[in-house]
Amino acid sequence: MKLGDRPLANPDVVLREEYDDWAVLFDPETANAVGINPVGVFIWRLLDGRNSVEQIAARVADGFDEVPGSAPEEVRAFVERLAAGGFVGFAATGATP
Amino acid sequence: MSDQPASPVPSAPQPVMSTPRRLDIEITARCNLRCRYCYFFDNPAVPYRDLDTATWLRFFDELGACQVMDVCISGGEPFLRPDLPELLAGIVRNRMRFNLVSNGALIDDAKAAAVAATRRCNYVQISVDGSCADTHDVCRGPGSFAGALRGIRTLQRHGIPVAARVTIHRHNVRDLPAVARLLLDELEVPAFSTNAASELGSFARHADQIAMTVADRELAMRSLVELKERYGGRITANAGPLADAEYWARMETARRQGAPAFSDGGRLSACGCVFEKIAVRADGAIVPCSMLAHLELGRIGRDRLAEVWRSAPELVRLRARQAIPLQRFAGCRDCAYAPYCTGNCPGLAYSLTGEIDRPSPDACLRLFLEAGGAIDGRAARISPGAEVAE
Repeated sequence: MKLGDRPLANPDVVLREEYDDWAVLFDPETANAVGINPVGVFIWRLLDGRNSVEQIAARVADGFDEVPGSAPEEVRAFVERLAAGGFVGFAATGATP
Repeated sequence: MSDQPASPVPSAPQPVMSTPRRLDIEITARCNLRCRYCYFFDNPAVPYRDLDTATWLRFFDELGACQVMDVCISGGEPFLRPDLPELLAGIVRNRMRFNLVSNGALIDDAKAAAVAATRRCNYVQISVDGSCADTHDVCRGPGSFAGALRGIRTLQRHGIPVAARVTIHRHNVRDLPAVARLLLDELEVPAFSTNAASELGSFARHADQIAMTVADRELAMRSLVELKERYGGRITANAGPLADAEYWARMETARRQGAPAFSDGGRLSACGCVFEKIAVRADGAIVPCSMLAHLELGRIGRDRLAEVWRSAPELVRLRARQAIPLQRFAGCRDCAYAPYCTGNCPGLAYSLTGEIDRPSPDACLRLFLEAGGAIDGRAARISPGAEVAE
């Protein structure tokens, strides 16, 4: 079994929506917290182990106006930052989500 | 009217979160001590009774649904509750972290191990008011100093972060350097916070024995400023002599320089708590904070927390307090410090004047100076954002 490309939100992490559509991801295990904007919230909700990063980027392109061409790279970088902070893992290839 | 800079008027109300980020929870109304300045006891508006385990656990489930991040568990003395491990498990299950406020005396290895096992404890705060039993026990009772130190050492053995709180009063104001040595050098506590015994709860019954004189307050401010210079960020304060020394030094610097009004000055803007946290009494009453324990906003198990948070009229009014100009109050109208003053704690304002929507006389620089007090320019050097007064 190897790690795949389908990011999966850490189930312990709390998505706390604040005002003006901004939000905080809070990991009670580590006390780490990160602020995310509305696009980040949109992405977070797609981190279910079923969607690949490319599929998530495509959903972002469909869901928002004036999405730049660099969006796929930016989505990947965002997911990788979350993974480095322990907020996200990657579903194992072949595993049933 | 004095010739003073105009105070800014807030252009928009401060936004309010959809649910509180933090809660202060008084988990029990029982305590093994009866400290002479306890803010919690001797409040005629508070019925001192406890809720059962199941009620708290259901409430913690509600907090989880509200995405609350942190709870501060105090009392009374939280380690008196035999179901504390079960309650902490409810906090963990709902993806929150916690800290505990304790006098330390009841913390044994089993209790410390239970706290450590949660892996969600930010810290346990232990009250230490003196460097020795003489100064600590005078207000907290015989044996309480030994209990506090025993509690700190037990927590440290279990790898639990420890914070200390020093409450300053007439009997320990000369002991502060020794307190700092004990906590920071000998016990190696990372940091301690300070406040002052204030006009709340049991204090009124003993004010003549424990209230600080103006000279005591000056000494406390001078001593804490010197200690903060020596120990850096390891000594903190949100209220009391150190906070007063730092903020008053900024105000005095600004006044001397004729500086523009502070962005939050000239209004009753001091309290930001009501924008991010709320409190629950041991009997289940939801209140704005422990210092406004008479102000019932709702009751857990009966009212939905999110609804209370958004709509309780008293809470909405407390948030609007920020816009009340100091010019409304006779003592502030001609005060040269008003453009830099935020009116201080609404809880103390209520306790001292019977009104919430007033500035608190307790931390009024003008009153302090009129009473013969003096402030020390050195505080400005350690106060962020301040220039040194010449």
